[in-house]
Amino acid sequence: MSHRMARSFQGLILLGLCIFFASKAINGQLTWYINARFIPLTLFGILFLAILAQTVFAEVRRSRAEDEDNEEHEHHHDHEHSPAGLWAMLIPLLIGVLIPPRPLDSSAFTSKGFNTNAPLVSAESSAQLFETESEERNILDWLKLFNYNDNVTQFSGQTASVIGFVYFDETLGENQFYVSRFVVSCCAADGFAIAMPVQWNDLSSLEQDAWVQVKGTIEAIVIDDRNVPLIVAESVQEVPAPERPYLFP
Amino acid sequence: MIPAAFFSWLADRLNVFATVFLGIFVEAVPYLLLGTLASGLVEVFTDRDQIARWVSKRPAASSITGAMMGIIFPVCECGVVPLTRRLFKKGLPLSAGISFLLAAPVLNPIVLFSAASAFGWADMLFWRFFLSLIIAVTVGLVFSVEKDSSNVLKTVFDSHEHEHSYKDKSVTEKIRQALLITVDEFFDMGRYLVLGATLAAGLQTFVSQSTLLAIGSGPILSVLIMLLLAVLLSICSTVDSFVALGFVGTFSFGSILSFLVFGPMVDIKSVMMYAQVFKRRAVIYIIAIPFMMSLLAGLLFNYLGK
Repeated sequence: MSHRMARSFQGLILLGLCIFFASKAINGQLTWYINARFIPLTLFGILFLAILAQTVFAEVRRSRAEDEDNEEHEHHHDHEHSPAGLWAMLIPLLIGVLIPPRPLDSSAFTSKGFNTNAPLVSAESSAQLFETESEERNILDWLKLFNYNDNVTQFSGQTASVIGFVYFDETLGENQFYVSRFVVSCCAADGFAIAMPVQWNDLSSLEQDAWVQVKGTIEAIVIDDRNVPLIVAESVQEVPAPERPYLFP
Repeated sequence: MIPAAFFSWLADRLNVFATVFLGIFVEAVPYLLLGTLASGLVEVFTDRDQIARWVSKRPAASSITGAMMGIIFPVCECGVVPLTRRLFKKGLPLSAGISFLLAAPVLNPIVLFSAASAFGWADMLFWRFFLSLIIAVTVGLVFSVEKDSSNVLKTVFDSHEHEHSYKDKSVTEKIRQALLITVDEFFDMGRYLVLGATLAAGLQTFVSQSTLLAIGSGPILSVLIMLLLAVLLSICSTVDSFVALGFVGTFSFGSILSFLVFGPMVDIKSVMMYAQVFKRRAVIYIIAIPFMMSLLAGLLFNYLGK
């Protein structure tokens, strides 16, 4: 590959990455991959990729102009370009474009597993959860509360309203399913699922991975020697998938 | 006939793979860009003798200086490799460079604050930074025995060859050159990031983490499992503390500490990048010594209480 051709190819890939990241930022899908607090960093990346692409294209134009000025001009090839390196950077673009984007769901449970307890937090942050309205708590909040309090019966009878996706599990009792959510601290690589069991009489109307809002009252039950909050549902309503599918601790 | 169930299984696996892969990639690219930019700026704005003058030639002093250099260059493990290679080219002693490579992803202000917000200013933080320093300096000292850097580095930088002079050029011209170097290094190191992310995502797609965690009890096995997880997950050191929080309660202090010390030094993507800069035998040392020292530290904490 000639020096200038390699440069042009570099420029195109940089531009491609820039557009790919920018499109994810615009359609809100960045949070399918990373924790929302890293979005500013990605925005910096988009800007910087654009600057680099522009610099490379300017260099290509310059070198072409130089050639036209002086046909016999000998080039100094100060950087060896390995085509392998260039092709490798196409892989992320291909994966991003060819595989239809979908946030992590119950299909990831086989390798990533799921939890009915939330070891994810320090004890102090669960203290303020007492003050939040019980209907405002999400799945992670409930699991934190049950994890860091010895007396969990105090939560029995409180009203809960949580959003998550449906997961059917054989180990649960009849007329029960899990309402689940992925928790992502950094990027999808560290994502893991948490789940609350739900008691509901009309399971047949629900589909695996469908997003639902579950409203009902909390009951403390024990699964595998651990206290787990069960929701005795009064309503289970299908809702559109939330814009941010993961919870960010 | 291939049953339809197979296709839905394949689609599911592919989805997990793509999401995890892009997760690592999207997260790492800005950090890699920052590291390669630092490398480009070092190339055009410093000259060879300048760096050699800053760093002592004596092994111990040189290793400690190298380990502390992360405070000036706050890079994490994706960015540190191209920068270290550049600093070698600028005459940084081998021992200082190796210590920098291993310590910088932890001993820098950004990671310090991220770890502090996860664990508070507590024991975990102190031991993490202390052990990372000790291990980085130790490996640096081991390499100071080697006088001939061509036994360690893949490319040996001769003082007369390939030395561009940027001195007479204007600042805009210097920045233009720095950006072109940034691009080259981004592609050069980026492919190892891609390869590492592919492996890590593949393992996460097909190897069950819950089984891994389930067998991970007991004082020895728990440390080994956490060390393995540090390598497999390949998370950036700026955020690994938050991930480690997820294991508090399930895992002992010692095993989480070894995860936090070893992970930034060795994981799938960084090993891929090391192999680009160092010869194979050197890469083995860079992996093995931190592995044994992190394992030992984890075991000591597990047995001596904590």
